[in-house]
Amino acid sequence: MNRNRRETLKAIGAAAVAISSELPSASVAAEDSPAMQKASLPGGEGLPSGWRAMRKYDVHNHVMEALHEPGADWSQTEDLVEAAEKLGIDMLCCSRPITGGKQAGNSEVRDVNNSVLAAMKRYPERIAGFCFIQPGNGPAALDEIDRCLEGGMIGVKLYNQFKYSDPIVFPVAERCIAHGIPLLGHSGHVTDARTQAAQPQISDSHDFCMLSGRYPELSLILGHVNGGGDWEWAIKALRDCPNVYVDTSGSVLENNTIEMCVQELGHERVLFATDLTMEGCVGKILSAALTPSQREDIFWRNFQKILERRRT
Amino acid sequence: MIIDINAFLGHYPFRQLHFRNAAKMVELMDHNGIDRALVSSLNAVFYRDAHRGNQELIEDIHAHSSRFIPVATVNPKYAGWQHDLEEAVVSWKVKAVTLVPAHHGYSLVDAYGQAALESIADYGLPVVLTQRFEDRRQRHHWDIAEDFEIKTLLQVAQAHPQLRFLLINWIGLDGPSLAEAGLKGRCLIDFARLHVLLRKDVAKLIAALGVEAIAFGSHMPFDYVGPSLVKLADLESLPEADYEKIAWRNAATFLRIDD
Repeated sequence: MNRNRRETLKAIGAAAVAISSELPSASVAAEDSPAMQKASLPGGEGLPSGWRAMRKYDVHNHVMEALHEPGADWSQTEDLVEAAEKLGIDMLCCSRPITGGKQAGNSEVRDVNNSVLAAMKRYPERIAGFCFIQPGNGPAALDEIDRCLEGGMIGVKLYNQFKYSDPIVFPVAERCIAHGIPLLGHSGHVTDARTQAAQPQISDSHDFCMLSGRYPELSLILGHVNGGGDWEWAIKALRDCPNVYVDTSGSVLENNTIEMCVQELGHERVLFATDLTMEGCVGKILSAALTPSQREDIFWRNFQKILERRRT
Repeated sequence: MIIDINAFLGHYPFRQLHFRNAAKMVELMDHNGIDRALVSSLNAVFYRDAHRGNQELIEDIHAHSSRFIPVATVNPKYAGWQHDLEEAVVSWKVKAVTLVPAHHGYSLVDAYGQAALESIADYGLPVVLTQRFEDRRQRHHWDIAEDFEIKTLLQVAQAHPQLRFLLINWIGLDGPSLAEAGLKGRCLIDFARLHVLLRKDVAKLIAALGVEAIAFGSHMPFDYVGPSLVKLADLESLPEADYEKIAWRNAATFLRIDD
């Protein structure tokens, strides 16, 4: 029983699979060739071999500081990039949203987006930008989208200022469609009174479905399916909304989340993300019962297809 | 070798868990390279008579005794709990005792909690305190248990200087505060909810409490095991002796599992 460290590392490095007998019958997508895909994990211990080298695009992450200001403290961003390097995360899609439901004016919005632009400039190979928008700013919000895209950003991020079923969000969706860029939304079907009181305008799957139903051509991403809230509810409520993607980020690491996403939505609607839970969110994709092809799609290829829709 | 100190068997009433019996959990452990797991009964958390859950746990793991290290769950508000605790310690050789005051309706600082902590200390066993089973933001309507508060932990640590603490599934622990409460050398913390790389939670706790305070934990079967395997892999840069302490040796020493 007393395996040494070398043996332990070997076990962890060996190919792995979750246990199929415990999983929903449809958890592995049928489109993959069983002969090519199924048997990646014959021994079944630990993490898949070469997991650090697997390409990974993290579609939901953040920079936290005012990086565009003189004398800015870059330490958290440096730690973020260092963690991404160690975990083999090739691209970090970062935004800096204004939280707490604050109806921030456009100058404040520009300020946080300038932080992201500064991070993109310092780490052009690692950090991609998502432009935070406060929909209540009207035409100025749309101008801000254009400004961010001119600076090289690749998507739009909404927080909890308005539910996404609110018509005030519609022009933002239309501008995203015009540019062919994804719209990533903070989400949660929260069931505790404290969080409900703190985030009265948080959107859940029903709000995403309503927006997606109105704009089926929109690349709409439900943010952090494991970010706090009833994730089983969130996934089931997306069954009939085929144009909504989910990102896998969040501090909740509960078993079967990824498998349920794949079973109910299809693996091509699932996008890898961490939202600052770096090791946890890499680990749950590695642990989930996925074929190598499904894992690769979730880690990066599904998002790559979204990026290829951009017009600017 | 890996010993997982954050694992449970049995049903959780608010969400379906896979791998909830010993045979299935052994499969999960084998697939993840985990040699042994410290387990307590989830049924014992929710039964009125927690000891029935302990009995089920002992029966369940009997055929896999080399893989599991049993923990008894005690409800100090229930009739005959001292007798039940004695049976668990003397007859079943449990290596730790867990208390779930939020679920059993008392506080660690009231008379029930104090009595339980004193009895556990008298047996020379560590007490297991799980900060939470799942995130409150997704809770079922009937799930009203609050997370363990750090101030309560610090209070009871100072009040019971002989007692050792196994801290399961915690986040937000401040190493210097734990040290000031006298917990250096008498606590073991699993990293299931801690960050290794980004916030350097583990490094900060090691700086304050020593590497002997940290152990592998996954929170299975609630959570995926992969996240903790990734964290362990991220600790490969430590000296080999320290890495092995975190992977298994600290757990073996703290739980005295070869005694």
